[in-house]
Amino acid sequence: MGMLNYIARRLLFSLALLLGVSVILFALINAIGNPIEILLAERPGVTEEIIQSVSQYYGLDGSVTDRYFTWLGNLLRLDFGTSIIYNQPVGDMLWTFGLETLKIQIPGILLALALAVGASVLAATRQYSRIDFGVISGAMLGHSLPGFFFGIILILIFSYWLGWLPSYGAYSTRNLLWDSELADGLWHMVLPVGMLAFFNTATLTLLLRSSLVDVLRQDYITAARASGLPERRVVMGHALRNAVIPVLTYLGILFGLMLGTAPVTETVFTWPGLGALYIMAIQQLDYPLIMGETMIITVMLVGATLLTDIAYVAIDPRIRLG
Amino acid sequence: MEGSIALAAPPRPPGIWRQGWFRFRRNRGGMLGLVLVGLVVLVALTCFLVAPYDPNDQSAMLRGASRQGPSWAHLLGTDRNGYDVLSRVLYGAPTALAVGLGAMLIASILGTIIGGIAGYVGGMVDEVLMRCAEFFLVIPVFIVILAVVRLFGIMVVGTALERVPHLNLMTIIALLGLFGWPPIARMARAEFLRLKQADFVEAAICIGATRRDILLRHILPNALPSLIVLVALGIGGAILAETMVSFLGFGDPKAVSWGQLLYFNYESLKVAPWGSVAPGVAIFVTVLGFNLLADGLTDAFNPRLRQ
Repeated sequence: MGMLNYIARRLLFSLALLLGVSVILFALINAIGNPIEILLAERPGVTEEIIQSVSQYYGLDGSVTDRYFTWLGNLLRLDFGTSIIYNQPVGDMLWTFGLETLKIQIPGILLALALAVGASVLAATRQYSRIDFGVISGAMLGHSLPGFFFGIILILIFSYWLGWLPSYGAYSTRNLLWDSELADGLWHMVLPVGMLAFFNTATLTLLLRSSLVDVLRQDYITAARASGLPERRVVMGHALRNAVIPVLTYLGILFGLMLGTAPVTETVFTWPGLGALYIMAIQQLDYPLIMGETMIITVMLVGATLLTDIAYVAIDPRIRLG
Repeated sequence: MEGSIALAAPPRPPGIWRQGWFRFRRNRGGMLGLVLVGLVVLVALTCFLVAPYDPNDQSAMLRGASRQGPSWAHLLGTDRNGYDVLSRVLYGAPTALAVGLGAMLIASILGTIIGGIAGYVGGMVDEVLMRCAEFFLVIPVFIVILAVVRLFGIMVVGTALERVPHLNLMTIIALLGLFGWPPIARMARAEFLRLKQADFVEAAICIGATRRDILLRHILPNALPSLIVLVALGIGGAILAETMVSFLGFGDPKAVSWGQLLYFNYESLKVAPWGSVAPGVAIFVTVLGFNLLADGLTDAFNPRLRQ
């Protein structure tokens, strides 16, 4: 019961959050005036009537509050409107570009989790050794290295100098090396996923190592050792399972960070995802697209936070619901 | 017997700052961070003297010498606009520090006031303020900042604000500050809540100290060490955020910033990699410096956290 109550409260807060973000952004976009006027200004042959009819077509006439509620009403029916620049339904675009974004982010974070577990176990079981020091230093360096700069270095080395991997895009326009589309897609994913995994591994390792060091000092670990369990089972079975819990909540935050900085990642790799689309949208003042993008990114972010929160509570019975 | 003990006043023990410094000095990572941050500050203060060229000197382009590799005349080469990369990178340091310090000044003032009130007053006020903080923590800050910078840039066209120098950069600093306060507010709240019940605060209440004195002279100074750690982390974060905004082309076109350098030179990465690598390394060193410094400060002020 407590669980359901908790989830309901979080959902309510998330809903309020979405509304808040949409109101702020909608007000800001409308504060600059009619985007059609700005976009079409000083084009030859554009008359007042043309501006008016185009504005009407995109639903830009009427008062701001009216428009906001129209937009909100359409949103509830999952109608995000039509992109001004691309003249396509925003919903379809978000779906296509969103999949591309998730295609690099989910492998990026899963790979990072696996790598971080390996590195932390290696370091925490040998506390204060050279390996431990190396892992901590490496993680600290990686944590401070701006992800997009690391991406630039990856491109420089693997695309330009060695020529092994493509430097941009998600697909080849002409298949030069691979026959199958799948192989071609994977080939393009290597660098972006590598960059995201690198950044996340560093942060997760810092967290997981210190959590694991803490757990390994607990009495029940000593008890497990005293009962004659092999060290491997003590670490992997007993210690790791408990050490991972605080790190799990951080996965949501990391995912949010990745999603929030997707514009940067996708600019570096010219990746056709939500981030690159967002840059286009705000450069071109494509307001249905800006609104739709912000909503979908906020929903994904809030969803990730909510999911990790619930997972946290579900996994660890010691956590009391607050 | 008892009188003689009371007479022998014990030597004044070192304060939290001195104690912290003793511990900080022994922390190699923290000291390295301090050195790196010191280096950036030094460069920022002396770039006018050290830089071999004017940051706006594009004469290399006229000589057809843009995108030249490192040479004695241009230690880090020239970029696609004919700028001397080394000079531009050196002149980027004051911009970066202005962004980091400016943003965190705003964030820490807001955060301390909001968190302090929430922690000290408590009750409904606390609830509302902390919900606000949570709101700002969950929204995709970077995405919103990008949109606001762009939209604000259009809004000021044709107004008096347009003539303010570096308006764009100041907008970015203000936004980073406005969105950066929640972590500080959370920490300030926790500290004010804890210190409110401390013995020395109760003693101060007993001798009739005013509420202002209690807040500003008794609670705030004792909350500062924990807040300083977040400020150090935040400075690095703000610098990184400005770099990313500029890298995407929404930065201040007139400011010499590392992000701007990356934005202009990323296109010619293949022919002139030094133009992108040099500012990237500068960002890395600065962010690493502040992260290590924050790490060292955590150890110095919260020694119990790490055995």
